[in-house]
Amino acid sequence: MHFLGEAAHGEARMRLMPDARERSEHALPVWMGQDDRVLLVAADEGEGAVPVAYAMGLLRKVPPLLAATQVGEVLEVFVDEAHRGQGLGDALVAVLCDALVGRGAQVLRAAVPVSQPAAEARLARAGFGRLQLELERSLDRG
Amino acid sequence: MEGIPIRNARRGDIPSLLLLWDAMLAEFIAMDPRFALHPKAREQMAAEFAAWLQDPARIVVVAEEAGRMIVGFAAGVRRPGNGWQVPERVGRITDAYVAAPRRRKGIARRLAGRVLDLLYEDGVGTVRLAAAIHNEGALAFWRSMGWSDLEVVLERPVPLADEV
Repeated sequence: MHFLGEAAHGEARMRLMPDARERSEHALPVWMGQDDRVLLVAADEGEGAVPVAYAMGLLRKVPPLLAATQVGEVLEVFVDEAHRGQGLGDALVAVLCDALVGRGAQVLRAAVPVSQPAAEARLARAGFGRLQLELERSLDRG
Repeated sequence: MEGIPIRNARRGDIPSLLLLWDAMLAEFIAMDPRFALHPKAREQMAAEFAAWLQDPARIVVVAEEAGRMIVGFAAGVRRPGNGWQVPERVGRITDAYVAAPRRRKGIARRLAGRVLDLLYEDGVGTVRLAAAIHNEGALAFWRSMGWSDLEVVLERPVPLADEV
């Protein structure tokens, strides 16, 4: 939830729904049982193995339009604020990418809010480059 | 523009839609080889167009010149949100293309405007789209219509160039 909370803090258009935490609690056990989903945690053994960082990815099968039909998506990477600057995020991205490729990913993709240049920089260090921009427009006519 | 009205697509438009889609992807690939097509892409897209025309959540509109030639199209869809972040319902423009000889006549603006109008009538308040990072013309076009950057989509090849 901290991951989504930070995204919302930097970008009001991505703010959370009121029941987001409850939805996450229900979704997590399901995700952990899915073969096409990778969920990694980094735990601080000095604090009783409490998770201090995590990364989640998904192997998505897409219709045969572009060359790759098995797309490995880096969905979320988050490091607790107190444990940043130690390379945990970079390590998680590396392990996650290897896991997705091991499951058959033919290409890896990730979407990062434009308000989070540090997140993009982390993925750039891992070999990711810009492919597209996602744009948004409100249709409110009030 | 007179002589090029915008209307909803019909099943009989599919061959023309495919020709425009071919041209659109050829331009994308010329800008960025990462958009290389799957060998079954055309067959897949024909099936998708046919399905879209039957799907009430989908919108496909065309610009037809002189009552007989499709010179542009745009497509959109209504979707639920991701379940965690607002909004709960999101519209998406999935495709928008005008044949090169017919550009700079306001056709793309009218096509996109029709899709947005139909999404708005359907209760959608937020719409998103993706534009290729090297397609500066498209990015300038969408931004001129009030669209703003939300996310950057990144890609990494498998394997990495230095791992080959």
